[in-house]
Amino acid sequence: MQTDIYRVNVGPIHPSTHGGLHAEAVMDGEIIQDVIVHLGYVHRSVEKIAESRTYQQFVPYTARLDYLATNLPVLGYCQTVEKLLGIEVPERAEYIRVIMAELSRIASHQIAIAATGIDLGATTGLMYGMRDRERIMNIFEMTGGQRLLSSYIRIGGVAADIPDDFIPAVRSFVNDVPQMIDEYNGLMTGNEIWAARMQGVGILNPEDAVKYGVTGPNLRASGIAYDIRKAEPYGIYDRLDFDIPTGSRGDSLDRWTVRIEEVRQSGRIIGQALDNLPEGEIIARVPKTLKPDPGKDIYHRIESAKGELGYYIVSDGGNKPYRLHVRAPSFINLMVLPLVCRGGVFQDIITNIATLDPILGESDR
Amino acid sequence: MNGQGLIKGLGITFKHFFQKEITEQYPDVMPQLAPRFRGCLQFEFEKCIACGICVNSCPNNVLSFETEKDENSKKKKLLSYTIDFQHCMFCNLCAEGCPKQCIYFDHNFELSSFKREDIKMVYLRPAEMDMREEESTNGQEQQESKEQKQIDAMQKALQKNPGKVLSKILEQEEDIIILSELMQSDEKTAGKIAELMVKDKEKAAKVAAGFVNKAKKNRAKTETAGEGGDAND
Amino acid sequence: MEALFVNLAAVLSGWLTSLGLSPIWADTVLLFVKWIIVITIITLNIIILIWLERKVSAFFQERLGPNRLGPFGIFQTIADAIKLLTKEDIVPSAADKLIFKTAPMFFIVVAVMLYTVIPMGQGMEVINLNIGLLFFISIGSLSTIALLMAGWGSNNKWSLMGAVRSVAQMVSYEIPLAFSLLGVVMISGSLNLQDIVAAQGKLWFIILQPIAFITYFIAATAELNRGPFDMPEAEQELTGGAYTEYTGMRWALFFLAEYTNLVAVSALMATVFLGGWQGPWLPSWLWIIIKTYGVILVFFWVKWTFPRIRMDHLMSFSWKVLVPVSLGNILLTGAGIYFCRWMGWC
Repeated sequence: MQTDIYRVNVGPIHPSTHGGLHAEAVMDGEIIQDVIVHLGYVHRSVEKIAESRTYQQFVPYTARLDYLATNLPVLGYCQTVEKLLGIEVPERAEYIRVIMAELSRIASHQIAIAATGIDLGATTGLMYGMRDRERIMNIFEMTGGQRLLSSYIRIGGVAADIPDDFIPAVRSFVNDVPQMIDEYNGLMTGNEIWAARMQGVGILNPEDAVKYGVTGPNLRASGIAYDIRKAEPYGIYDRLDFDIPTGSRGDSLDRWTVRIEEVRQSGRIIGQALDNLPEGEIIARVPKTLKPDPGKDIYHRIESAKGELGYYIVSDGGNKPYRLHVRAPSFINLMVLPLVCRGGVFQDIITNIATLDPILGESDR
Repeated sequence: MNGQGLIKGLGITFKHFFQKEITEQYPDVMPQLAPRFRGCLQFEFEKCIACGICVNSCPNNVLSFETEKDENSKKKKLLSYTIDFQHCMFCNLCAEGCPKQCIYFDHNFELSSFKREDIKMVYLRPAEMDMREEESTNGQEQQESKEQKQIDAMQKALQKNPGKVLSKILEQEEDIIILSELMQSDEKTAGKIAELMVKDKEKAAKVAAGFVNKAKKNRAKTETAGEGGDAND
Repeated sequence: MEALFVNLAAVLSGWLTSLGLSPIWADTVLLFVKWIIVITIITLNIIILIWLERKVSAFFQERLGPNRLGPFGIFQTIADAIKLLTKEDIVPSAADKLIFKTAPMFFIVVAVMLYTVIPMGQGMEVINLNIGLLFFISIGSLSTIALLMAGWGSNNKWSLMGAVRSVAQMVSYEIPLAFSLLGVVMISGSLNLQDIVAAQGKLWFIILQPIAFITYFIAATAELNRGPFDMPEAEQELTGGAYTEYTGMRWALFFLAEYTNLVAVSALMATVFLGGWQGPWLPSWLWIIIKTYGVILVFFWVKWTFPRIRMDHLMSFSWKVLVPVSLGNILLTGAGIYFCRWMGWC
């Protein structure tokens, strides 16, 4: 029988492409021959915008890179500028930043958990994940005033001191983390259909992962315990005690379980930061106009929820960056999508996109 | 495995079936907003001193204003203030920079409107403001109290960011650092310079230079270099 | 109360013959009236069912569900129906128009036909067919054709994939579905659904045939295209599958037909395994409604808990697990019947 290869455009308008990913699937029946990733559907030229904004003015734009983990890209940018100018951040601000960053990481992973739930058809999983994320959003609203793009971390520290009801709210959330994880595991991870959809699907070897430059939970799921918080500690991460969860097979199930475990570890980090939260200033004295030395350039990276998030800033001595580049983890992680999808069936594309957990605001920029 | 996971999942959903719902019944029940919640941008015309910090700090050119130089008091007079709200990112940079707290976010989040023009908020100078100002300029007493107010404001500004204010009268950065340090320790000196800066700038520059030279000499004597001042830079 | 509807039918039939109609014509008119009643019940039922599914799923997910229109939001479905009726009817220019337009009609007609044989109470059915069960299974499998028509007619890759999947799925699950019912037929010795109900006077077949009940439940979920087997629709993967291109009332017809099928299959399950209309105190037609809704709620519960199964797992599950198990069940039932006869129990 003569058969033909056909192409299906998964996205950009598709329910499960996490905000505008266009993956062109080359299919032979239900078997995937290849996947071609077309990027740029939500391109907003963030890097170009940076060149026409002052260093402070660009801070809110960074929140829009990874809008699900809003404090992490802001933290990365602010730390880069601080490194560029040699600004010393007060101790209390560092602790608050860690709390906010880890809450953002949990928020991002909870979206990943919830979105994987709905992508695989477990609609109820979506609701439970979102329900728990809502508490983090409330905490963000409490501190920064905004729920999603909280605009709280500033160059030199944080915008305002934490309110009185912040610590009890974060504590009660952290205490409930194990219970939440039990629920996700009971509803989804332990489910046989779930395991069958994920086990052995989208296997990413450690060699390929390193070769492609994959970072974050996706790399750790392949069995490489690489976390910038440990490998090159920034802020106060060297004082905190936490584990790096890793997988063994590098398949979708590992990526999923690594994310769930990271939620637990982030909960631990927040607990420690709350215990040791010092009193003091919350923002360093930063001049109104930031003018780094001309010709100075700097690269700084942090462990974002999706992987290594780096900023490269070149200064020409003015109050605006001459060039700013974002090393977006989602962009690089997405490049393995064809590799992990090949040979699978059509539904594996959805599973793989969900477990690679790209965020298109960041990869398209 | 072998179906246990499936049954456990059914158990979890069954348990949740009888739990309390988490839905917020908006708009019947309005959400509880945190005090810092950023809703709609509000502007208080009468408080504004037309300093332009908000306009300069806005990343997206949301804010703009028109001013006119008042001939009598030689002061900038705000004529109109425009908030092109459709571009607002709710980053709070304008409100944080405002020295008079005249621009701020309120708790109104129902911002949808039918026309694009309705999103734009234009504040025009209220007529009674001019009248009141005219009244206040009459009389020597009020003039004096106004001057005192200006001196107070200058003093505050000197405490807040001495480097920027002093750069108007001193040229060398080193001098600025020394003087700002001096003023922090000595309130009297600060008051004098502030007064002079309001009344006569040239004289202020001379006096300031004098203070700096004196301080330099003192330092050379004691050799306790004031490196702590670097933090202010 | 018990014989309310039967008596009504008798009165109507008597009145028609008194008008001078020949018995054949009287029967035809009576059949027509019965059909109108069945379709009305189906429509009303669906209005309640859609509301119920939304409400139940909301409760599983700690939401409130529809609560604006009428008490507990029960009129929400009516508002939705009006909205769908007034929506623009879009037919894609590249579609095979005749097939595209007839598919939803075909689907709903097939779904309604299933109600012909279901006993809705003592002596209450549209036609008392002696091969009722066979009729039900064979008509039930016709809905595959409607889905294939929809998928092919839409001229859309997603639709076609959904349609092809649904054909593969339904053809595979027909077999365990029919096989699991065979055990019941062997015990009751009849394909007539009223006889099967009568055979459960002492003991429901769910106790005699537990394996058959489970296999039938799984196969029926697949036949109904409900989660976790909702391959043809698969919103998150196929963006709506065979229904992708449908809008307004055409889409609503598919929706209605799915719920119609759901009620029919649940009613059959109640009839075959749960003792049908039999039960104490309450009238028989109320019992079948209660049992049907019980089964439907279990369907809802399963759908709103489980993720969607993968297509190849779905097929291998049918051929490697369900078919052997249901065949084994037939063997077991046969052996059991011989054992009973040998012991002299039946």
